[in-house]
Amino acid sequence: MRHSFLDRYSSLSSPIHRLDPRAKIVALFSFLLIVVFTPITLGQKFALYGALVFSLVVISKVPVKFVIKRSLVIIPFVGLVAIGLPFLGNDGGSLNLGVFAITPSALLLFLNVIVKSWLCVVAMIVLTSTTPFSRLLRGLQGLKMPTVFVMILSFMYRFTFILEDELERMVRAREARSFKPTWLQSVKAAGNIIGNLLVRSYERGERVYAAMRSRGYDGEIKLISELKMNSHDALFITIFLSLLILILVV
Amino acid sequence: MHIPDGFLSFEVWAPLWAVAALIIALAVRKTNKKLSDRHVPLLGILAAFVFAAQMLNVPVAGGTSGHFLGGVLTAIFVGPLAGSLVMSSIFVIQAIFFQDGGITALGANIINMGLIGTIIGFYIYLGFTKLLKGKRGMITGAAVAAWISVVFASAACALELAASGTSPIQIALPAMVGIHAIIGIIEAAITVTVIGFVMKTRPDLLNLPKI
Repeated sequence: MRHSFLDRYSSLSSPIHRLDPRAKIVALFSFLLIVVFTPITLGQKFALYGALVFSLVVISKVPVKFVIKRSLVIIPFVGLVAIGLPFLGNDGGSLNLGVFAITPSALLLFLNVIVKSWLCVVAMIVLTSTTPFSRLLRGLQGLKMPTVFVMILSFMYRFTFILEDELERMVRAREARSFKPTWLQSVKAAGNIIGNLLVRSYERGERVYAAMRSRGYDGEIKLISELKMNSHDALFITIFLSLLILILVV
Repeated sequence: MHIPDGFLSFEVWAPLWAVAALIIALAVRKTNKKLSDRHVPLLGILAAFVFAAQMLNVPVAGGTSGHFLGGVLTAIFVGPLAGSLVMSSIFVIQAIFFQDGGITALGANIINMGLIGTIIGFYIYLGFTKLLKGKRGMITGAAVAAWISVVFASAACALELAASGTSPIQIALPAMVGIHAIIGIIEAAITVTVIGFVMKTRPDLLNLPKI
């Protein structure tokens, strides 16, 4: 199982962890939208957004180092945009970087992309590393995500790890046979492994359905406890949103 | 390529979100009506399968590697709308839990890498199976559809970035499409091999109800 970072810190205990998932989803999605809509020229606002989201990280006791490391997932895309930069903007006055010349407007665009995507990624990391997967799903369901969707997601979460382990076993078996493939062979082997995984997944699905059916499953997930918003959640939402709006308008 | 937040302008991501939401809503309604409770666990496991299969890296060229996307394959097994649900749930998980792709860009990512494969790809496949009978039609159709789905996905991604003013079209489009024309061959080869494998071992799986 490779994704040890998933749910790694979501069972810590902190005021942020204890919040209702719906409160966190609403707060962080609003954060994300406001960040995306703020013009990049207002630099100090972005510093404040950063301070706001990192104060959540600090309160939640999730290691800052972990958050920073996870947030580097945006790098490949930043690279793609960086390649195109010298060909953007035509407002004269350029920054000379050896062979390339980058105009100020292109530089601003680059900043726009990096700063916004990074802040949004950090917000999502806060959401997922303070909320266990199952609670987050219930939060999404509480916010009217269609039930079929929620059920597909919850089955998916349960089985991804099992299927990944299964996949890893097959890959290890392939390596153990001193597999030194040509390109065509490696593609063919990948196809066969994936085909094998598909058949095994399907058969597992049939067994799981039979097992669930025999335990009274009738197409609905029944919950033991309902989500409840309390005064802490209301307080959090109010403070967080007013700070956001304050940063946006002032 | 999962587009992060902040890379697309509002005029680009908002309509794409609306289109994706509309298609998903339609898919939810249709699957609710036609699927029995039996199929929901199956769709979930299929989603987990595609997700796991995407972890397997295949060498592309010059030390880089790509991975299987799976939209066309999924649609061939469960149909375009159920397949769209499966693929969309993967992108939702990737955006929220893995920070692979943004929330505002989710609509664009679902359309590029999911719906193009499960809907356009599926109908290309269907066209080929009507044109060529039997196994040959299925294999050719699957190969062509898989290749097109990857190339279209990369083109759509480049166009969206260009329309947002994030990346110049004369660079992004040829670069993305060029690379993905090769990655598409891998997608086609894997899709065809998987179908061949299932034909040999559990041919009944190719005749599941399609929605």
